[in-house]
Amino acid sequence: MNFETIIGIEIHLQLKTKTKMFSPALNTSKAAPNTHVHPIDMGFPGTLPRVNKKAVELALIACKALHCSIDDCLHFDRKNYFYADLPKGYQITQDKRPIGRNGYVTIEVDSKEKNIEIERIHMEEDTAKQLHYTTFTLLDYNRCGIPLIEIVTKPNIRSGKEAAAYVEQLRNILLYLDVSDCKMEEGSLRCDVNVSIRPYGQVEFGTKVEIKNLNSISNVEKAIDYEVKRQKALLLRGEAVEMETRRFDEASKTTVLMRKKTSAVDYKYFTEDNIMPIQLDKNWVNQVISNLPELPHEKETRYQKEYGLSSYDAKVLTSNKPMMQYFEKLVTYYNNYKIMTNWLIVEVLGYLNKNNQTFENMKMEPKELAIMVKYIDEGKISSKQAKDVFEHLMSSSKTVDEIIKELNIVQISDDTTLLAIINEVLTEFSSSIDDYFAGKDRAFGFMIGQIMKKTKGQANPAKVNQLLKQELEKLKK
Amino acid sequence: MDYLNQSLETIHQALKDKKVTVTELVKEAINKAKKLQETCNAFVTIDEDNALNQAKELDNKEVTDNLLFGIPMAIKDNYSTKDVLSTGSSNILNNYVPIFESQATSLLKDANAISIGKTVLDELAMGGSGLTGHTGVVKNPLDTNRLIGGSSAGSCAAVVAGVIPFALGSDTGDSVRKPASLGGIVGFKPTWGRISRYGLYPFAPSLDTVAFFTRNVKDSAYIFDVLNGYDNKDMTCFNLEKEIVYDSINGTIKGKKIAVLKEIYETISNPEIKKEFDEFFENVKKQGVQVDLISIDKKLYDTIYSTYMILSCSEATSNNANLDGINFGNYVEANGVDASVIATRSKGFSELIKRRFVIGSYILSKENQEKLFIKAKKLRRLIVEDVNRILDSYDAIVLPASGNVAPLFKQGNDVDRLSDEYLLLENHMAIGNFGGFPSITIPCIKYQGLPIGINITGKAFKDKDVLNLAYGLESMIGGKK
Repeated sequence: MNFETIIGIEIHLQLKTKTKMFSPALNTSKAAPNTHVHPIDMGFPGTLPRVNKKAVELALIACKALHCSIDDCLHFDRKNYFYADLPKGYQITQDKRPIGRNGYVTIEVDSKEKNIEIERIHMEEDTAKQLHYTTFTLLDYNRCGIPLIEIVTKPNIRSGKEAAAYVEQLRNILLYLDVSDCKMEEGSLRCDVNVSIRPYGQVEFGTKVEIKNLNSISNVEKAIDYEVKRQKALLLRGEAVEMETRRFDEASKTTVLMRKKTSAVDYKYFTEDNIMPIQLDKNWVNQVISNLPELPHEKETRYQKEYGLSSYDAKVLTSNKPMMQYFEKLVTYYNNYKIMTNWLIVEVLGYLNKNNQTFENMKMEPKELAIMVKYIDEGKISSKQAKDVFEHLMSSSKTVDEIIKELNIVQISDDTTLLAIINEVLTEFSSSIDDYFAGKDRAFGFMIGQIMKKTKGQANPAKVNQLLKQELEKLKK
Repeated sequence: MDYLNQSLETIHQALKDKKVTVTELVKEAINKAKKLQETCNAFVTIDEDNALNQAKELDNKEVTDNLLFGIPMAIKDNYSTKDVLSTGSSNILNNYVPIFESQATSLLKDANAISIGKTVLDELAMGGSGLTGHTGVVKNPLDTNRLIGGSSAGSCAAVVAGVIPFALGSDTGDSVRKPASLGGIVGFKPTWGRISRYGLYPFAPSLDTVAFFTRNVKDSAYIFDVLNGYDNKDMTCFNLEKEIVYDSINGTIKGKKIAVLKEIYETISNPEIKKEFDEFFENVKKQGVQVDLISIDKKLYDTIYSTYMILSCSEATSNNANLDGINFGNYVEANGVDASVIATRSKGFSELIKRRFVIGSYILSKENQEKLFIKAKKLRRLIVEDVNRILDSYDAIVLPASGNVAPLFKQGNDVDRLSDEYLLLENHMAIGNFGGFPSITIPCIKYQGLPIGINITGKAFKDKDVLNLAYGLESMIGGKK
């Protein structure tokens, strides 16, 4: 029997704000436990929430970037449940009126584009972090109250590959827009996946299983692939898939049962009366979402159109934010986009990889790379010389001009000088002229070699080539 | 001379004239508080050392023009007071010492008022009897066989007994205005959102209001001036300029129009009490005030009690979910976290509170929200719209704050089923909380030597007008006696 895989993904994303969602404590993951905690985060009696404006801005940006329609009146609700990591006994979230609805993210899998539909984006607050030990559990309230958005897809993901592509694309976009750190391994991007399968043609969904603890994109794919296999095997054995929560176990590359889901929990959602509905100013909303930086895929298209780059080059450039930023500076200095891109993708990336460096700590300024390419084009240096110059640019903070001077790199392109040397060689090696006319190709190369020898390799090869041919033509007549 | 049962202005003048020192005042207040504690059980904590220390400090300073300078006060024990036990009169918080100060108490302390202690309330402010605090029943200083009402029972009793000239309470249904009536003092609940609730233990945030007891209306106006104003710690606190009304209320009431709601007023069952109130309204008319007995939709107003219970219990069950013993409070250890939370809450709350939580939980459950919770919200809106319609043509709605004097304690009574408790006459003041209206109770008539107050409720943000009307009526009542 053939089965269709149905996947929905819920992503919790910590927003990159200075302070927490509803309290003035700092939002930081890099501090000793319980050092950034306000009475509000502890749920002390009488404390009241105040909404973080920056968090709203970032949520709006996420909505815009993921093509959601925006609800410009903010409503908050309470999700009520008891849990050790939830000091108030409820979480402030948006139930009935999420800030964003009906968006999508475009992914590309096997060279085919697909829109993954987003059902909703809502704002909420993070819970305290639990650190489990064998006989006790510690709580870190630094995490309690960190602003979150939850991004929920519709169940229209059909494979582990698509799921991984979705998470990756989403991460790229939100990282670009500085909405979040998006670090899966540190928990600033947390991904829960709902997987079910059904025989092709069946309308009803199968029983879904939730997978938690996915701390990398590749694990998203692996976990789903394993889970689909597991569910298929169950169904083919005539057993039922049970509603449960599982986690991905990295060591065994399998999913492991965490808990069975018996009856659905009733969270008794109702309005958070401590925050009255906030009507967002339309102008402010527009201001927030209209100046968004260009997204990676938008850049990709523009690079092809504006700079005539291949789709491959455009993709490589935009897949890496620092490289993209470098490129955008580069193009302000010179216009041989294709060649500059080649240098970036081939030489620069190669050098960085080989030397374990990154764009962030790279020595070569965009301006210098641009000048170097320009000099090649102008014939001031040869491509071969450029490689030397490049090595120096990458290892020192010197300019192209300084390096050229230091290495004594000169290229003789002046016609008069070159013609004098060419004629000297023609006189000295007149027998080669006969060989050349007799059709011996090697004779031409020999003469070029002699010219280069006389100029200590500094003659502009293209120029020499052209002038030598021209002089030989004269002799033929 | 006893200054503590005088007006703020009188005490202030005595301080200025050096007839009395702050220390003397505070000492006297503490002595009285201790005495009252023996007879009426008004206090959870009498904060003698802190109060005397502050008094000494103030005595080294020049008396400023601020009327609260050196004035002793009491604070309901559901305000978070830094470093001072704040129990909410519940066993679950019987050891809780907050690390931060509520906005209301810090404004009063900034004005150099001195807290002499924290007062008993009905557990977590849920209840109207003063019977359910974890440290015991609060009695009415006017007659210790009677209750004082609640939930701000201890604060009311302390002002009634002249321990302090004013005390902080809170009002979710009528928790200040009802006891004020039974104790014969002034209880004012300003417009919702005019005073920051930061640090007030939440019962039902959409109804909760910082409120207070004073001996007279002018004093209430002064406390209102100190407390009102924007606070960025409370998002439901209106971003409006601070209002100063004290100097501008003069009690001119001639030409005012007040509405008496017929279907509520006429249910006063005791003919003698009814007669007293009839007389009162006749006198009001003589002051040139238009008094209209107007008819209301009884069926709609009869839902006030159930609407109030549905909304307040629902909000309460969620607001008190933080009381699990994990971060603070009276933690009861059991096998594992879940069991400990269950043990903490089982032991920490009285039966009455648990009953309210069960009701609230039931109402908020998915299958009941639409037919109970949402419906109650709609009723609340309909009632508020109707009241606003009346207030479009009248300066205030004026009604007896209760239909009878303070009830006697009953033997083996079911405390949640007080006589008349479900009558509209005894519950109409929740209207003030439904609409966030400014609402004040002032002493009005006496029956068998015991007071019953009159309640005056006006449009939201018309605090000054309500105070002014109350001041006028107070002068009239005082003149008559």
